[in-house]
Amino acid sequence: MDKHIISTSPHIRSKLTSRRIMLDVLIALLPCCIAAIVFFGWYSLAIMALSVASCVISEIAYKIIEKKAWEDWSAVMNHIFSRFDFSSVVTGIILSLILPTRVNINGELALLPWYMPLLGGMFAILLCKMLFGGTGRNLVNPACAGRVFLFISYMSIMTACVGNCVISPLVELSVAEGEILSGATPLTALLEGNKTLSPLDLFLGTGVDGAMGETCKLAILIGYLYLCVRRTIKWYYPLMAIGASATLCLFMEGFDFSITLSSVLSGGLLFGSVFMATDYVTNPKSTLGNVIFFVSFGLLNAGLRKATGIEVTSFCLLIMNCITPLIDLVVPRRPFGFVRPAKGAKA
Amino acid sequence: MKKIKGFFYNRGVHVPDHKVASGKPIEVLPPPQVVSLSLSMGLGRPAEPLVAVGDKVRKGTLIGKSGGFISSNLHSSICGEVIAIATRPNATGAPETYIDIKNNGLDEVDYMEPLSDPGPDEIKKRVLDAGIVGMGGAGFPTAVKLSPKTPVDVLIINGAECEPYLTCDHRLMLEHSDEVVRGARYFAKAIGCKEIIIGIEANKPDAIEIFEKYDDIKVVELKKQYPMGGEKQLIYCTTKRKVPLGKLPADAGCNVQNVSTCYAACQAIEQGKPLIDRVMTCAGDGVKEPKNILVPLGTKLSEVVEFCGGQSEKEAAKLISGGPMMGFAMIGLDSPTKKTSSGLLLLSIDEIDTSVATPCLNCGRCADVCSMKLMPMNTVFYAKAGNFEMAAKMGGVMNCIECGACAYVCPAKQPFLQNIRLAKAELRKRG
Repeated sequence: MDKHIISTSPHIRSKLTSRRIMLDVLIALLPCCIAAIVFFGWYSLAIMALSVASCVISEIAYKIIEKKAWEDWSAVMNHIFSRFDFSSVVTGIILSLILPTRVNINGELALLPWYMPLLGGMFAILLCKMLFGGTGRNLVNPACAGRVFLFISYMSIMTACVGNCVISPLVELSVAEGEILSGATPLTALLEGNKTLSPLDLFLGTGVDGAMGETCKLAILIGYLYLCVRRTIKWYYPLMAIGASATLCLFMEGFDFSITLSSVLSGGLLFGSVFMATDYVTNPKSTLGNVIFFVSFGLLNAGLRKATGIEVTSFCLLIMNCITPLIDLVVPRRPFGFVRPAKGAKA
Repeated sequence: MKKIKGFFYNRGVHVPDHKVASGKPIEVLPPPQVVSLSLSMGLGRPAEPLVAVGDKVRKGTLIGKSGGFISSNLHSSICGEVIAIATRPNATGAPETYIDIKNNGLDEVDYMEPLSDPGPDEIKKRVLDAGIVGMGGAGFPTAVKLSPKTPVDVLIINGAECEPYLTCDHRLMLEHSDEVVRGARYFAKAIGCKEIIIGIEANKPDAIEIFEKYDDIKVVELKKQYPMGGEKQLIYCTTKRKVPLGKLPADAGCNVQNVSTCYAACQAIEQGKPLIDRVMTCAGDGVKEPKNILVPLGTKLSEVVEFCGGQSEKEAAKLISGGPMMGFAMIGLDSPTKKTSSGLLLLSIDEIDTSVATPCLNCGRCADVCSMKLMPMNTVFYAKAGNFEMAAKMGGVMNCIECGACAYVCPAKQPFLQNIRLAKAELRKRG
C-alpha cells in the first residue's frame, strides 16, 4: 500500500490562519503606533516594547509551566513556538496604545512609570487570558482588562487631579501653550460646554494629550480601512457602535452637532470600537448577536460618558464582554429553510 | 431561453477553480482486461448477484438485481466471463463484494429495447431497470426520486459543478447538450412537471451559451460559489424556494437531477443502454495529463491514471475520489470506479491541506459561510466535549449537509467535519 494521507473532506483549505489574522491586526495597528511616536516621542515606543515583552513572556512562561517543559525542553519549546499566534503581541500593543505616556505623580507631570505596562501585560495575559484557557477562551478582552486593572490599582497616578477636574488617562488633555494639565480635557470640557479644541485637532490628534494610540483618529481610520479591505473585521460593526453612540449623544445634547462630533472624536470610542470591540474571542458568534453587541456598546458608552463625565470605553467594553455569552445563548438560530412552528402547534 | 441571473444567496465560500481539464474533450477509455463491479454502487442496500463464476456476460447484461427499494441494478460494463465474486476491501478499506469480469475482446452488447416516445411509467421503469443513480456523488437511486410524494412543478438540472478540479459535467454539457436536454425532458415527463431549469455556474459561459438555444429550458447563471451545487442551495438560487428543514426538495415542488444523470437516462431510453460507464475527471498535480474520460464502470483507478500518462514527477500525497471538498481519500489506486466516481484526483502535498488545528478564535467565519446557516463552531465545541445534545441544539448539526465550507474557511483549521460526523452518528444512535 502506498503512503497516502487519509483524512476527512475537505481536502483543500484556505490559506488564512490565525497567525495571519493577528499579523493583519498588527499591521492595522501600525499607523497608531507611528502616530504615538510622532506625538509622544520615543518613550511611547519604550512603553510598547515593555508591554509586548511582558505579554509575550507571560504567555510563554505560563505555557512552560503548564506543559512541564523541564521534562523535555526541546519538544515543548518547539510546540510552543510552532503554535505561537501573535495574539499576545496584539494584546501588548493594544494595551500600550491605551495607556498615556504622561501621568500625574504627586501633582507633577511625569512619564508613565516603566513598571506599569509590565504589570498590565502580566495581568492581562496571565489572569485574563491564560487562566481562562488561553487563546480563544478568554471572557474579556485582555488588553482592556489590563488597562482597567492599572486604572483601578493606580488611581492616584492614573487620574490627574488639577483643580476640581478628575481626568482619566483615556480622556484627552489639552496641552496647548505648553501648560501642564492646565485646561479641562476636551471631553470634560465638552460636557461643561467649553470648546477649546477644534474637531480637526481632535481628528488629527494635534495638541491633544491622552492615551497614546487613541488621539490620532486619522491613524485609527487607516487601520480600520486596512482591516476592512483584508476582511479581518466586518466594516459595519465599528460604524454601528460609533453611530449608536453618536445618535444617543445627539439626543442627550439636544441635537447639538458640534458637541456630538467632538464627543465622537474624543476619548477611546473610535479606537475601542475598531480594535478592541472587534476582538473575535470576546464578541458574539452570530452576526445578529454582534449587531446587538456593538449597538449596546455604543449606547452604553454615550450614556455612561454623560452620566459619569469621565472616559468609560474600557469599562463599557468589559461590561459588554461579560454579557456576550448571554447574547450567544438568547440570539435565535434560524437554519436555512427554517419554518416557524405554527402558533399553538405542539412542538 | 435567454439566461437569467440566479437569486442571490449570501452563504458559501469562494474556492479556487483549478479546472485545468475544462478544455479537454471527453476521451474514451478502451475496454479494460478486467473489471471489478461493486455490488453497492449507489446509496442503499447492495445489489444481489445474478451470475455465478464462469458465466458468460455481454456488455449491458444484468448481473446484479436491486436489493430493495433504495438500491439499484447492476450491469456488466464489458463483454466476457465472470471470474470471481469476492469480498475485498474497497477504496476506504471497508469490505465490499465485487463481481470480477474478464474481457474476452468480443465487445458484444446486450442492451434493452430502445423506447420511442415513452410514457411516464415506461420512463420510470426504464430508469429503474437501467440502474441509474444520482451521479453527482450521493448515488441515490433516481427511480425513487422520480416518484415524489408531493406534486412537483419544476425540474432543476444541476450543472453547477461547484467542486474544484472536476470538469466532467462541464464537458458533458458542451459535447452532449442534446442528450442532456432530452434526458431532462424525459424526467420532466415522468414527474409531470412543465418547467425545466438548468443552473450553471458563471465560470462556464460556453455551457450557458449552448443551453440558451433550447426554447423549453430556462438557463440560470449562478454565482461562482461553493456549494452552489448543493440541492437546497441550487433550488433557492434558481427558484427562490426554500426547502423546509428536514424535508425533501419535493416538498418545495422541485426535483433536482445531475447533468450526468440526465445523460445516462437519455441513453437508457433511446439506446436501451444501462448505466455501465460514466464520464470522470482525472486531475491534480500527481497526473501527467489531466483528462476527462468516459470510463467503463469497474475499471481499476490505476488504469485510468495510466491513460492520463501515468503519475507525474510530483508525488501524489493524497488520492481522492470525487472533488476535493466532498470527496473521500482513498488508500490506493487498486479499487475500481463506481457509478458515483465523478473524479479521481491525485493531489500533491502542495495542493492539499496539511495544517494543524489551533485554538478556535470564535471569529464566526464558519457561521458566515455555512450554507445551511448553522453554527458550526458550537457543534465542534460541544462535540469535542461529548455533549451531543447541545451540539444539535446550539450548532444545529442534524441539518448539516457536510459541504465542508466551514472547514475550508476556518483560520484555526478546526476539525469540523470529523466532529460533525461524530455528532451525527452519536445522535442517530441515540435516536
